[in-house]
Amino acid sequence: MSNDLQWLLLRRNNSFLVKRVPEGPVFSKEPGNLLNLNSFKFSGLANSKVITVEDQAGTIKVQTRKVKASPQAVAKATSSTTVRPRSGPRRAIGIAAAPAKRGYRPDLRAATLARVSALLAAQREPKAAPAKKLRGKKAETFLG
Amino acid sequence: MASRPTVNVHSSSGEASTSLPLPAVLTAPIRLDVVQQVHKSIAKNKRQAYSVSEKAGHQTSAESWGTGRAVARIPRVGGGGTHRSGQAAFGNMCRGGRMFAPTKIWRKWHVKVNQNQRRFAVVSALAASALPSLVLARGHRIEKIEEVPLVIDGAAESFTKTKQAVALLKSLNAYADVVKVSNSRKLRAGKGKLRNRRHRQRRGPLVVYNEDNGIVKAFRNLPGVELVNVRRLNLLQLAPGGHLGRFVIWTEAAFGLLDEVFGTFEKASTFKKDYFLPTAKIANPDVTRLINSDEIQSVVRPAGQKVQKRPWTQKKNPLVNKAILFRLNPYAKTLRRQEILKQERLKAKNAPKAKQPIAASKVFLESLFAP
Repeated sequence: MSNDLQWLLLRRNNSFLVKRVPEGPVFSKEPGNLLNLNSFKFSGLANSKVITVEDQAGTIKVQTRKVKASPQAVAKATSSTTVRPRSGPRRAIGIAAAPAKRGYRPDLRAATLARVSALLAAQREPKAAPAKKLRGKKAETFLG
Repeated sequence: MASRPTVNVHSSSGEASTSLPLPAVLTAPIRLDVVQQVHKSIAKNKRQAYSVSEKAGHQTSAESWGTGRAVARIPRVGGGGTHRSGQAAFGNMCRGGRMFAPTKIWRKWHVKVNQNQRRFAVVSALAASALPSLVLARGHRIEKIEEVPLVIDGAAESFTKTKQAVALLKSLNAYADVVKVSNSRKLRAGKGKLRNRRHRQRRGPLVVYNEDNGIVKAFRNLPGVELVNVRRLNLLQLAPGGHLGRFVIWTEAAFGLLDEVFGTFEKASTFKKDYFLPTAKIANPDVTRLINSDEIQSVVRPAGQKVQKRPWTQKKNPLVNKAILFRLNPYAKTLRRQEILKQERLKAKNAPKAKQPIAASKVFLESLFAP
Protein backbone atom coordinates (compact mmCIF):
# COMPACT_ATOMS: atom_id res chain seq x y z
CA MET A 1 0.00 0.00 0.00
CA SER A 2 1.51 3.29 -1.04
CA ASN A 3 2.26 5.95 1.52
CA ASP A 4 0.38 8.58 -0.42
CA LEU A 5 -2.81 6.52 -0.35
CA GLN A 6 -2.48 5.75 3.34
CA TRP A 7 -2.11 9.46 4.02
CA LEU A 8 -5.28 10.20 2.06
CA LEU A 9 -7.15 7.65 4.15
CA LEU A 10 -6.09 8.93 7.55
CA ARG A 11 -5.46 12.65 7.19
CA ARG A 12 -9.04 13.75 7.80
CA ASN A 13 -9.91 11.53 10.70
CA ASN A 14 -7.70 9.65 13.10
CA SER A 15 -7.45 9.20 16.82
CA PHE A 16 -4.37 11.40 17.16
CA LEU A 17 -5.73 14.66 15.75
CA VAL A 18 -5.83 17.72 17.96
CA LYS A 19 -7.99 20.56 16.69
CA ARG A 20 -8.18 23.03 19.53
CA VAL A 21 -8.24 26.39 17.82
CA PRO A 22 -10.86 26.99 15.16
CA GLU A 23 -9.09 28.03 11.95
CA GLY A 24 -5.84 27.31 13.79
CA PRO A 25 -3.18 24.71 13.11
CA VAL A 26 -4.15 21.04 13.25
CA PHE A 27 -1.80 19.06 15.44
CA SER A 28 -1.26 15.35 15.66
CA LYS A 29 0.11 13.52 18.67
CA GLU A 30 1.12 10.16 17.25
CA PRO A 31 4.59 8.91 18.10
CA GLY A 32 6.95 9.52 15.21
CA ASN A 33 5.57 12.94 14.42
CA LEU A 34 8.56 15.15 15.13
CA LEU A 35 6.73 18.48 14.96
CA ASN A 36 3.36 17.11 16.06
CA LEU A 37 1.85 18.66 12.96
CA ASN A 38 -0.83 16.95 10.90
CA SER A 39 1.00 16.76 7.59
CA PHE A 40 2.17 14.01 5.27
CA LYS A 41 5.83 14.89 5.73
CA PHE A 42 5.75 14.63 9.51
CA SER A 43 3.15 11.90 9.83
CA GLY A 44 4.37 9.01 11.92
CA LEU A 45 1.66 6.74 10.56
CA ALA A 46 1.55 7.17 6.81
CA ASN A 47 5.28 7.18 6.07
CA SER A 48 7.28 3.99 5.69
CA LYS A 49 10.39 5.74 7.01
CA VAL A 50 9.76 7.35 10.36
CA ILE A 51 12.07 8.78 12.99
CA THR A 52 10.69 8.69 16.53
CA VAL A 53 12.33 10.69 19.28
CA GLU A 54 11.07 10.13 22.78
CA ASP A 55 12.10 10.44 26.39
CA GLN A 56 11.76 7.27 28.41
CA ALA A 57 12.45 7.96 32.06
CA GLY A 58 15.39 10.25 31.41
CA THR A 59 16.78 8.29 28.45
CA ILE A 60 16.30 9.78 25.02
CA LYS A 61 15.47 7.15 22.40
CA VAL A 62 15.81 7.65 18.67
CA GLN A 63 13.82 4.99 16.85
CA THR A 64 13.55 4.41 13.14
CA ARG A 65 11.32 2.17 11.12
CA LYS A 66 13.46 -0.39 9.33
CA VAL A 67 13.63 0.01 5.57
CA LYS A 68 13.49 -3.70 4.89
CA ALA A 69 10.70 -4.46 7.35
CA SER A 70 7.58 -5.99 5.84
CA PRO A 71 4.66 -3.56 5.59
CA GLN A 72 2.73 -5.83 7.95
CA ALA A 73 5.29 -5.80 10.76
CA VAL A 74 4.61 -3.59 13.77
CA ALA A 75 6.80 -4.11 16.83
CA LYS A 76 9.72 -5.76 15.06
CA ALA A 77 9.91 -3.07 12.39
CA THR A 78 11.55 -0.48 14.65
CA SER A 79 15.20 -0.24 15.47
CA SER A 80 16.17 1.90 18.37
CA THR A 81 19.26 3.70 19.58
CA THR A 82 19.49 5.37 22.94
CA VAL A 83 21.35 8.41 24.16
CA ARG A 84 22.89 7.41 27.43
CA PRO A 85 21.81 9.70 30.22
CA ARG A 86 24.25 12.51 31.07
CA SER A 87 26.29 11.95 27.92
CA GLY A 88 25.98 15.57 26.87
CA PRO A 89 24.38 17.46 24.06
CA ARG A 90 27.13 16.91 21.46
CA ARG A 91 26.79 13.15 21.59
CA ALA A 92 23.00 13.33 21.71
CA ILE A 93 22.91 15.52 18.62
CA GLY A 94 25.31 13.16 16.84
CA ILE A 95 23.01 10.23 17.53
CA ALA A 96 19.99 12.23 16.42
CA ALA A 97 21.61 13.19 13.14
CA ALA A 98 22.79 9.65 12.41
CA PRO A 99 19.72 8.52 10.41
CA ALA A 100 19.84 11.64 8.24
CA LYS A 101 23.58 11.18 7.74
CA ARG A 102 23.10 7.75 6.25
CA GLY A 103 20.38 9.04 3.95
CA TYR A 104 17.34 8.01 6.01
CA ARG A 105 14.81 10.86 5.78
CA PRO A 106 17.38 13.64 5.46
CA ASP A 107 14.47 16.06 5.22
CA LEU A 108 13.75 15.43 8.88
CA ARG A 109 17.26 16.26 10.11
CA ALA A 110 16.43 19.70 11.48
CA ALA A 111 13.22 18.50 13.13
CA THR A 112 14.99 15.54 14.77
CA LEU A 113 17.76 17.73 16.13
CA ALA A 114 15.25 20.25 17.42
CA ARG A 115 13.30 17.59 19.26
CA VAL A 116 16.38 16.02 20.82
CA SER A 117 17.65 19.44 21.88
CA ALA A 118 14.30 20.29 23.39
CA LEU A 119 14.26 17.04 25.36
CA LEU A 120 17.81 17.70 26.58
CA ALA A 121 16.88 21.19 27.66
CA ALA A 122 13.87 19.81 29.51
CA GLN A 123 16.07 17.35 31.35
CA ARG A 124 18.35 20.08 32.69
CA GLU A 125 17.73 21.19 36.25
CA PRO A 126 16.16 24.63 36.14
CA LYS A 127 18.44 27.33 37.52
CA ALA A 128 17.54 28.52 40.96
CA ALA A 129 16.03 31.99 40.88
CA PRO A 130 18.35 34.63 42.35
CA ALA A 131 17.52 35.76 45.86
CA LYS A 132 15.21 38.73 45.89
CA LYS A 133 16.92 41.95 46.86
CA LEU A 134 14.93 44.33 48.97
CA ARG A 135 14.72 47.81 47.61
CA GLY A 136 13.85 51.28 48.87
CA LYS A 137 12.60 51.88 52.38
CA LYS A 138 12.25 48.20 53.17
CA ALA A 139 15.94 47.59 52.52
CA GLU A 140 16.98 50.41 54.84
CA THR A 141 14.75 49.44 57.71
CA PHE A 142 15.60 45.78 57.34
CA LEU A 143 19.34 46.42 57.26
CA GLY A 144 19.30 49.16 59.89
CA MET B 1 6.25 -6.79 -3.10
CA ALA B 2 6.57 -8.95 -6.12
CA SER B 3 5.98 -12.25 -4.38
CA ARG B 4 2.84 -12.85 -2.38
CA PRO B 5 3.65 -11.85 1.21
CA THR B 6 3.07 -14.28 4.03
CA VAL B 7 1.66 -13.82 7.50
CA ASN B 8 2.92 -15.69 10.53
CA VAL B 9 0.66 -17.82 12.68
CA HIS B 10 1.25 -17.12 16.34
CA SER B 11 0.96 -19.98 18.77
CA SER B 12 -0.61 -19.54 22.18
CA SER B 13 2.82 -18.95 23.69
CA GLY B 14 3.21 -15.92 21.44
CA GLU B 15 5.92 -16.94 18.97
CA ALA B 16 5.40 -17.47 15.29
CA SER B 17 5.18 -21.10 14.23
CA THR B 18 3.98 -21.49 10.65
CA SER B 19 3.00 -18.98 8.03
CA LEU B 20 0.10 -18.50 5.63
CA PRO B 21 -0.05 -16.57 2.36
CA LEU B 22 -1.83 -13.23 2.58
CA PRO B 23 -5.40 -13.66 1.27
CA ALA B 24 -6.22 -11.59 -1.79
CA VAL B 25 -9.04 -9.78 -0.01
CA LEU B 26 -6.52 -8.04 2.23
CA THR B 27 -4.95 -6.38 -0.81
CA ALA B 28 -8.24 -5.13 -2.24
CA PRO B 29 -8.66 -1.42 -2.97
CA ILE B 30 -9.66 0.67 0.04
CA ARG B 31 -12.42 3.15 -0.68
CA LEU B 32 -13.12 5.35 2.31
CA ASP B 33 -16.09 6.99 0.64
CA VAL B 34 -17.76 3.68 -0.18
CA VAL B 35 -17.29 2.42 3.37
CA GLN B 36 -18.72 5.58 4.89
CA GLN B 37 -21.68 5.69 2.55
CA VAL B 38 -22.58 2.03 3.01
CA HIS B 39 -22.05 2.22 6.77
CA LYS B 40 -24.32 5.24 7.02
CA SER B 41 -27.08 3.35 5.29
CA ILE B 42 -26.84 -0.06 6.92
CA ALA B 43 -26.40 1.43 10.38
CA LYS B 44 -30.01 2.57 10.00
CA ASN B 45 -31.33 -0.93 9.49
CA LYS B 46 -31.53 -1.89 13.16
CA ARG B 47 -33.79 0.97 14.16
CA GLN B 48 -37.09 0.37 15.87
CA ALA B 49 -40.19 2.12 14.65
CA TYR B 50 -41.52 5.00 16.71
CA SER B 51 -44.21 7.60 16.26
CA VAL B 52 -46.58 9.81 18.18
CA SER B 53 -49.99 8.44 19.07
CA GLU B 54 -52.39 8.35 16.18
CA LYS B 55 -54.98 10.08 18.39
CA ALA B 56 -52.72 12.76 19.87
CA GLY B 57 -54.32 16.22 19.54
CA HIS B 58 -57.53 14.87 18.07
CA GLN B 59 -59.31 13.70 21.21
CA THR B 60 -61.74 16.59 21.23
CA SER B 61 -64.88 17.47 19.29
CA ALA B 62 -63.75 20.97 18.35
CA GLU B 63 -65.36 22.74 15.44
CA SER B 64 -64.78 26.09 13.84
CA TRP B 65 -67.06 28.93 14.90
CA GLY B 66 -67.02 30.33 11.39
CA THR B 67 -66.81 34.01 10.65
CA GLY B 68 -68.51 36.85 12.47
CA ARG B 69 -67.32 36.10 16.01
CA ALA B 70 -64.17 38.23 15.74
CA VAL B 71 -61.88 35.22 16.37
CA ALA B 72 -59.76 33.11 14.04
CA ARG B 73 -61.63 30.38 12.17
CA ILE B 74 -59.58 27.58 13.74
CA PRO B 75 -61.60 24.72 15.28
CA ARG B 76 -62.51 25.55 18.87
CA VAL B 77 -63.50 23.31 21.77
CA GLY B 78 -67.18 23.66 22.49
CA GLY B 79 -69.14 23.74 25.70
CA GLY B 80 -68.53 25.72 28.89
CA GLY B 81 -67.53 25.32 32.49
CA THR B 82 -63.87 24.63 31.83
CA HIS B 83 -60.89 26.60 30.61
CA ARG B 84 -60.62 24.35 27.62
CA SER B 85 -63.93 25.48 26.15
CA GLY B 86 -63.41 28.07 23.45
CA GLN B 87 -59.70 27.25 23.08
CA ALA B 88 -58.32 26.45 19.65
CA ALA B 89 -57.63 22.78 18.87
CA PHE B 90 -56.21 20.38 16.27
CA GLY B 91 -53.80 22.74 14.48
CA ASN B 92 -50.05 22.30 14.82
CA MET B 93 -49.87 25.90 16.02
CA CYS B 94 -52.38 25.29 18.82
CA ARG B 95 -51.68 24.40 22.41
CA GLY B 96 -52.90 20.85 22.83
CA GLY B 97 -53.05 20.40 19.09
CA ARG B 98 -51.34 17.68 17.09
CA MET B 99 -47.81 18.08 15.81
CA PHE B 100 -47.02 19.09 12.27
CA ALA B 101 -46.86 16.02 10.02
CA PRO B 102 -47.22 13.49 12.85
CA THR B 103 -44.55 10.79 12.67
CA LYS B 104 -45.77 7.42 11.45
CA ILE B 105 -44.51 3.96 12.24
CA TRP B 106 -44.52 3.24 8.54
CA ARG B 107 -41.65 5.61 7.89
CA LYS B 108 -38.96 4.07 5.66
CA TRP B 109 -36.67 2.80 8.40
CA HIS B 110 -34.67 0.45 6.26
CA VAL B 111 -32.25 1.70 3.62
CA LYS B 112 -31.51 -0.53 0.72
CA VAL B 113 -27.88 -0.82 -0.32
CA ASN B 114 -26.88 -2.73 -3.40
CA GLN B 115 -25.31 -6.07 -2.64
CA ASN B 116 -22.16 -5.36 -4.60
CA GLN B 117 -21.68 -2.09 -2.74
CA ARG B 118 -22.11 -3.84 0.61
CA ARG B 119 -19.55 -6.41 -0.41
CA PHE B 120 -17.18 -3.72 -1.67
CA ALA B 121 -17.41 -1.95 1.67
CA VAL B 122 -16.70 -5.12 3.64
CA VAL B 123 -13.76 -5.95 1.40
CA SER B 124 -12.39 -2.41 1.77
CA ALA B 125 -12.73 -2.53 5.53
CA LEU B 126 -10.95 -5.89 5.63
CA ALA B 127 -8.09 -4.56 3.50
CA ALA B 128 -7.79 -1.56 5.81
CA SER B 129 -7.64 -3.83 8.86
CA ALA B 130 -4.46 -5.34 7.41
CA LEU B 131 -2.55 -2.04 7.45
CA PRO B 132 -0.84 -1.21 10.75
CA SER B 133 -1.04 2.53 10.17
CA LEU B 134 -4.80 2.53 9.69
CA VAL B 135 -5.37 0.28 12.71
CA LEU B 136 -3.20 2.61 14.80
CA ALA B 137 -5.03 5.62 13.41
CA ARG B 138 -8.34 4.18 14.55
CA GLY B 139 -6.95 4.16 18.09
CA HIS B 140 -6.20 0.50 18.73
CA ARG B 141 -3.26 -0.17 21.04
CA ILE B 142 -1.25 -2.44 18.78
CA GLU B 143 2.20 -0.89 19.13
CA LYS B 144 3.62 -3.99 20.82
CA ILE B 145 2.09 -6.72 18.67
CA GLU B 146 4.20 -8.51 16.13
CA GLU B 147 2.29 -7.89 12.93
CA VAL B 148 -1.02 -6.93 11.38
CA PRO B 149 -3.06 -9.00 10.43
CA LEU B 150 -2.65 -10.99 13.60
CA VAL B 151 -3.29 -14.72 13.10
CA ILE B 152 -3.49 -17.11 16.04
CA ASP B 153 -3.15 -20.83 16.28
CA GLY B 154 -6.20 -22.99 15.56
CA ALA B 155 -6.13 -24.30 19.13
CA ALA B 156 -7.68 -21.04 20.27
CA GLU B 157 -11.00 -22.04 18.70
CA SER B 158 -11.48 -24.69 21.34
CA PHE B 159 -10.67 -22.43 24.27
CA THR B 160 -13.48 -22.52 26.78
CA LYS B 161 -12.11 -20.38 29.58
CA THR B 162 -11.72 -16.61 29.58
CA LYS B 163 -8.53 -17.17 31.58
CA GLN B 164 -7.03 -18.88 28.52
CA ALA B 165 -8.21 -16.07 26.29
CA VAL B 166 -6.56 -13.45 28.51
CA ALA B 167 -3.32 -15.44 28.63
CA LEU B 168 -3.33 -15.67 24.83
CA LEU B 169 -3.94 -11.95 24.34
CA LYS B 170 -1.21 -11.14 26.86
CA SER B 171 1.29 -13.37 25.11
CA LEU B 172 0.47 -11.63 21.82
CA ASN B 173 0.87 -8.22 23.50
CA ALA B 174 -2.67 -7.49 22.36
CA TYR B 175 -4.16 -7.22 25.83
CA ALA B 176 -3.39 -3.49 25.94
CA ASP B 177 -6.33 -2.93 23.62
CA VAL B 178 -8.68 -4.67 26.06
CA VAL B 179 -7.27 -2.59 28.92
CA LYS B 180 -7.92 0.54 26.88
CA VAL B 181 -11.58 -0.45 26.53
CA SER B 182 -11.84 -1.25 30.21
CA ASN B 183 -10.47 2.15 31.16
CA SER B 184 -12.72 3.97 28.74
CA ARG B 185 -15.97 2.73 30.29
CA LYS B 186 -18.07 5.78 31.19
CA LEU B 187 -21.65 6.43 32.21
CA ARG B 188 -23.70 7.47 29.19
CA ALA B 189 -25.11 10.97 29.10
CA GLY B 190 -28.86 11.27 28.74
CA LYS B 191 -31.82 8.93 28.68
CA GLY B 192 -29.89 6.06 27.13
CA LYS B 193 -28.96 5.12 30.69
CA LEU B 194 -32.56 3.99 31.26
CA ARG B 195 -32.76 2.16 27.97
CA ASN B 196 -30.20 -0.60 28.46
CA ARG B 197 -27.35 1.52 27.13
CA ARG B 198 -26.04 2.52 30.53
CA HIS B 199 -22.35 2.68 29.67
CA ARG B 200 -20.38 3.65 26.66
CA GLN B 201 -16.93 2.33 25.90
CA ARG B 202 -14.41 1.96 23.09
CA ARG B 203 -14.25 -1.04 20.79
CA GLY B 204 -11.60 -3.67 21.32
CA PRO B 205 -10.29 -6.37 19.00
CA LEU B 206 -12.61 -8.32 16.72
CA VAL B 207 -11.91 -12.04 16.88
CA VAL B 208 -12.80 -13.89 13.70
CA TYR B 209 -13.17 -17.66 13.94
CA ASN B 210 -14.05 -20.48 11.61
CA GLU B 211 -15.77 -22.86 13.97
CA ASP B 212 -16.99 -22.14 17.47
CA ASN B 213 -15.66 -24.86 19.74
CA GLY B 214 -15.97 -22.64 22.78
CA ILE B 215 -14.01 -19.60 21.55
CA VAL B 216 -17.07 -17.35 21.73
CA LYS B 217 -17.69 -18.15 25.36
CA ALA B 218 -13.99 -17.80 26.15
CA PHE B 219 -13.67 -14.30 24.70
CA ARG B 220 -17.11 -12.72 24.97
CA ASN B 221 -16.80 -11.50 28.53
CA LEU B 222 -13.70 -9.42 27.79
CA PRO B 223 -14.64 -5.76 27.53
CA GLY B 224 -14.82 -4.51 23.96
CA VAL B 225 -13.98 -7.85 22.36
CA GLU B 226 -16.42 -8.99 19.69
CA LEU B 227 -16.51 -12.31 17.89
CA VAL B 228 -17.75 -13.17 14.46
CA ASN B 229 -17.71 -16.13 12.14
CA VAL B 230 -15.59 -15.59 9.05
CA ARG B 231 -18.61 -16.32 6.85
CA ARG B 232 -20.66 -13.62 8.58
CA LEU B 233 -18.29 -10.64 8.50
CA ASN B 234 -20.18 -7.43 8.99
CA LEU B 235 -19.29 -3.86 8.09
CA LEU B 236 -20.70 -2.52 11.36
CA GLN B 237 -18.07 -4.54 13.19
CA LEU B 238 -15.24 -4.11 10.69
CA ALA B 239 -15.58 -0.34 10.47
CA PRO B 240 -17.46 0.94 13.52
CA GLY B 241 -18.71 4.45 12.96
CA GLY B 242 -17.59 4.19 9.35
CA HIS B 243 -13.96 4.49 10.50
CA LEU B 244 -11.60 2.06 8.82
CA GLY B 245 -9.04 -0.11 10.53
CA ARG B 246 -10.62 -2.34 13.19
CA PHE B 247 -8.07 -4.48 14.98
CA VAL B 248 -8.91 -8.00 13.81
CA ILE B 249 -7.51 -11.18 15.34
CA TRP B 250 -7.91 -14.15 13.02
CA THR B 251 -7.82 -17.81 13.90
CA GLU B 252 -5.72 -19.85 11.53
CA ALA B 253 -8.71 -21.63 9.95
CA ALA B 254 -10.65 -18.39 9.51
CA PHE B 255 -7.69 -16.71 7.85
CA GLY B 256 -7.25 -19.66 5.52
CA LEU B 257 -10.91 -19.52 4.55
CA LEU B 258 -10.82 -15.85 3.45
CA ASP B 259 -9.85 -16.69 -0.12
CA GLU B 260 -12.90 -18.94 -0.37
CA VAL B 261 -15.31 -16.53 1.30
CA PHE B 262 -14.35 -13.51 -0.79
CA GLY B 263 -12.64 -15.16 -3.74
CA THR B 264 -9.58 -13.63 -5.33
CA PHE B 265 -9.02 -11.30 -8.25
CA GLU B 266 -9.05 -14.30 -10.60
CA LYS B 267 -11.13 -16.94 -8.82
CA ALA B 268 -14.77 -16.49 -7.88
CA SER B 269 -15.86 -16.87 -4.28
CA THR B 270 -17.34 -20.21 -3.30
CA PHE B 271 -19.68 -18.69 -0.73
CA LYS B 272 -20.94 -15.76 -2.80
CA LYS B 273 -22.28 -16.46 -6.25
CA ASP B 274 -20.13 -15.11 -9.09
CA TYR B 275 -18.27 -12.75 -6.81
CA PHE B 276 -14.81 -11.51 -7.71
CA LEU B 277 -12.83 -9.00 -5.71
CA PRO B 278 -12.99 -5.43 -7.03
CA THR B 279 -9.87 -4.51 -8.97
CA ALA B 280 -7.90 -1.37 -8.29
CA LYS B 281 -8.06 1.49 -10.77
CA ILE B 282 -4.28 1.59 -11.04
CA ALA B 283 -1.90 -1.25 -10.32
CA ASN B 284 0.66 0.90 -8.53
CA PRO B 285 -0.63 3.86 -6.55
CA ASP B 286 2.83 4.83 -5.30
CA VAL B 287 3.43 8.20 -6.98
CA THR B 288 7.10 8.45 -6.04
CA ARG B 289 7.76 4.96 -7.32
CA LEU B 290 6.04 5.80 -10.61
CA ILE B 291 8.01 9.00 -11.10
CA ASN B 292 11.29 7.30 -10.34
CA SER B 293 10.57 4.28 -12.52
CA ASP B 294 12.88 3.53 -15.46
CA GLU B 295 10.00 3.79 -17.92
CA ILE B 296 9.26 7.37 -16.96
CA GLN B 297 12.81 8.47 -16.27
CA SER B 298 14.03 7.21 -19.65
CA VAL B 299 11.68 9.49 -21.56
CA VAL B 300 11.68 12.69 -19.52
CA ARG B 301 14.03 15.52 -20.41
CA PRO B 302 16.85 16.25 -17.96
CA ALA B 303 16.00 18.78 -15.31
CA GLY B 304 16.82 22.34 -16.27
CA GLN B 305 18.19 25.15 -14.17
CA LYS B 306 16.16 25.78 -11.07
CA VAL B 307 14.17 28.95 -11.42
CA GLN B 308 14.22 30.73 -8.14
CA LYS B 309 11.25 32.97 -7.61
CA ARG B 310 11.87 35.67 -5.11
CA PRO B 311 8.78 36.19 -3.04
CA TRP B 312 7.86 39.23 -1.00
CA THR B 313 9.76 41.72 -3.21
CA GLN B 314 8.29 44.96 -4.39
CA LYS B 315 6.66 44.75 -7.78
CA LYS B 316 8.34 47.06 -10.24
CA ASN B 317 6.46 48.77 -13.04
CA PRO B 318 8.07 47.89 -16.39
CA LEU B 319 6.70 51.07 -17.92
CA VAL B 320 8.75 53.07 -15.44
CA ASN B 321 11.65 50.81 -14.61
CA LYS B 322 13.87 50.21 -17.59
CA ALA B 323 15.69 47.19 -16.17
CA ILE B 324 12.41 45.34 -15.62
CA LEU B 325 11.19 46.31 -19.08
CA PHE B 326 14.34 44.96 -20.73
CA ARG B 327 13.96 41.69 -18.78
CA LEU B 328 10.42 41.32 -20.06
CA ASN B 329 11.10 42.50 -23.61
CA PRO B 330 14.74 42.34 -24.66
CA TYR B 331 13.92 44.01 -27.97
CA ALA B 332 12.88 47.15 -26.13
CA LYS B 333 16.53 47.78 -25.48
CA THR B 334 17.36 47.78 -29.20
CA LEU B 335 14.33 49.92 -29.91
CA ARG B 336 15.38 52.51 -27.38
CA ARG B 337 18.97 52.51 -28.58
CA GLN B 338 17.87 52.95 -32.17
CA GLU B 339 15.56 55.78 -31.13
CA ILE B 340 18.36 57.56 -29.34
CA LEU B 341 20.69 57.15 -32.31
CA LYS B 342 18.00 58.41 -34.64
CA GLN B 343 17.42 61.46 -32.47
CA GLU B 344 21.13 62.18 -32.47
CA ARG B 345 21.30 61.83 -36.22
CA LEU B 346 18.37 64.18 -36.68
CA LYS B 347 19.90 66.63 -34.29
CA ALA B 348 23.14 66.54 -36.18
CA LYS B 349 21.35 66.99 -39.47
CA ASN B 350 19.15 69.89 -38.42
CA ALA B 351 21.74 71.74 -36.41
CA PRO B 352 22.45 75.17 -37.93
CA LYS B 353 25.82 75.08 -39.65
CA ALA B 354 28.45 77.36 -38.29
CA LYS B 355 29.28 80.15 -40.75
CA GLN B 356 32.58 79.57 -42.46
CA PRO B 357 34.62 82.74 -42.04
CA ILE B 358 35.30 84.21 -45.45
CA ALA B 359 38.96 84.49 -46.10
CA ALA B 360 40.24 88.01 -46.42
CA SER B 361 41.29 88.98 -49.86
CA LYS B 362 44.86 89.10 -50.85
CA VAL B 363 44.70 92.83 -51.60
CA PHE B 364 43.28 93.50 -48.15
CA LEU B 365 45.89 91.46 -46.37
CA GLU B 366 48.67 93.09 -48.33
CA SER B 367 47.39 96.52 -47.43
CA LEU B 368 46.99 95.38 -43.78
CA PHE B 369 50.46 94.10 -43.38
CA ALA B 370 51.98 96.84 -45.47
CA PRO B 371 55.15 98.06 -44.01
